[in-house]
Amino acid sequence: MVVFALLIINKAGGLVYNRTFAPGLQKLDSNDYLILAGTFHGIHAISRTISPAPRAPHPPGTRPPPTTGIETMDAGRFRLTCFQTPTGVKFLLFTSPEQPNAEAIIRRCYEMYGEMVMKNPFYSLEMPVRVEKFDRVLGGYLVRPG
Amino acid sequence: MPAATDDNTYGVQPPGLDFKDSNTIPLPPPKHFQPSLRYPSSRKTIYDRNLSRPSSTTSLASFAYIFNTIITYHHAKSGSVSEIETRLNRAGYPIGIKMLDLLLYRQSGKAVRPIRLLELLQFIHGALWRGLFGRAADALEQSTSKKNEYMIVDNEPVVNTYISIPREMSQLNCAAFVAGIIEGVCDAAAFGTEGVTAHWAEGDEMWPGKTIFLLKFQEKVIERDEAIKASVG
Amino acid sequence: MATATTSKASRMGEEIWKTRVDKISAEVLTLTYGTLVAQLCRDLTLPNTASQTDYLAVNAELDRMGYAIGLRLIEDFLAKSQNTGHCSNFREVAEVISKVGFKMFLNVVPEVRGWQGPPAGEEGAGGPVAFSLVLEENPLAEFVELPDDGRAQDELWYSNVLCGVLRGALEMVQMQVEARFTSDVLRGHESTEMRVTLVRYLQDELPADDD
Repeated sequence: MVVFALLIINKAGGLVYNRTFAPGLQKLDSNDYLILAGTFHGIHAISRTISPAPRAPHPPGTRPPPTTGIETMDAGRFRLTCFQTPTGVKFLLFTSPEQPNAEAIIRRCYEMYGEMVMKNPFYSLEMPVRVEKFDRVLGGYLVRPG
Repeated sequence: MPAATDDNTYGVQPPGLDFKDSNTIPLPPPKHFQPSLRYPSSRKTIYDRNLSRPSSTTSLASFAYIFNTIITYHHAKSGSVSEIETRLNRAGYPIGIKMLDLLLYRQSGKAVRPIRLLELLQFIHGALWRGLFGRAADALEQSTSKKNEYMIVDNEPVVNTYISIPREMSQLNCAAFVAGIIEGVCDAAAFGTEGVTAHWAEGDEMWPGKTIFLLKFQEKVIERDEAIKASVG
Repeated sequence: MATATTSKASRMGEEIWKTRVDKISAEVLTLTYGTLVAQLCRDLTLPNTASQTDYLAVNAELDRMGYAIGLRLIEDFLAKSQNTGHCSNFREVAEVISKVGFKMFLNVVPEVRGWQGPPAGEEGAGGPVAFSLVLEENPLAEFVELPDDGRAQDELWYSNVLCGVLRGALEMVQMQVEARFTSDVLRGHESTEMRVTLVRYLQDELPADDD
């Protein structure tokens, strides 16, 4: 069971944070991450709108129900868990396929983001997250010693 | 001294001074102050309410949002790190003036203002810190080289809980706001300073946010303290 | 009235407050907010005067500052209240703001009153949809008295930052609202009340290339 990486994608589809947590992973360059984030953002949007599944009931005048897109994606060597906040930020967690509680982990990451990124006066909204204390608490939570 | 009557309240002659030869003009008496504020009928005014116990708790988050707003406001108006710190110091200063009275008022028994320098420092390190942050500061030290300089150490200032300083401003310590509070307390207690500043104590692995508040007292404050010390033995 | 929502929201707010919120003496918040308002009152003066505060400008600035807070605060709110679930109508929104939001951030629970609009779930029937929040206690304004200058009590909304916070936070979850104070004990009114009016539900944002 290993947590490989966390990516955060802003409302507009821009990659604002990426970090790996385990030793011995493949090194992706920043361009790879941008492609990954951009492509996933697009597919996620499609998964929210284009599907034969019936739409959730939405009487006129009520608040539209949230439409979740892709929540997990399984591959032989990894599982990708996606959590989209109601504000449109996406947290993507790459784990080994057998990693349990990926959703709980991702929600904890969201909490740390709400604390250390959003309450930091020097962070500009929608911009890349370069916040020392976020790195520190996230590292304390997810990094495995190499 | 007999109570002054309305007529001679202003321009009253202090004993031993003769005004006849000087060119002073007595000030006119001020107009009687007529408060015009309205109060809700169903509530007590702030003067009737109980000030003796501290109010309840609130979220640190709300404090952080307001503090961040203050930081952003002053950051936008400042040209340098030191200007931001000066502005944050000024923002905290009036809080210190109020906190001194408030904490003395709440002291059990008789409210005694700190008279000796050490009493003041212990008051800041203990009562002030507990009143603001719910715990005492972590250390109180005297400079080994300058006898008018003292340091109060906080391993992890509450006000910095959520703050990460960008690399290009790494010297900035937003606890300058707390330094301003300390300066307000010192001034209100009549221990004039040449400034109170907040500095990162670099190199502490365990406490990366460790902050030193440097209090530089005016020479006359030190002289007075030594005179008191000499007189009481 | 949505009593099930109300009690669920109350429990939720209490639990979050007890278990997941870092706390500080309310006095520190009061004093810090006070220095901010006082600063604005010094900095924002009427044209051609050096010391006459432009209180309307102060209100606007506090609202703008609150809006910037709201855009950020919403993430902390959502992250900590992840089991609250989706509000499907504005009545539920009102309950959650009062019982969870205010509780979590200010440790007070304003009463929701003065509901205006069609029954829950039929908000498309037309007409304004609005509610009032009555703040029995206001941690921002404890022991505050406005300047006795003959104007502040008629012009300044001391806690106006809260209006901006609601506007910013709700906009991030696709609700455009208007929020304003309608009374304040600091002005000599009998209660402190905010009026929150739904302008519209914003469409869930889609990527531009879907249009």
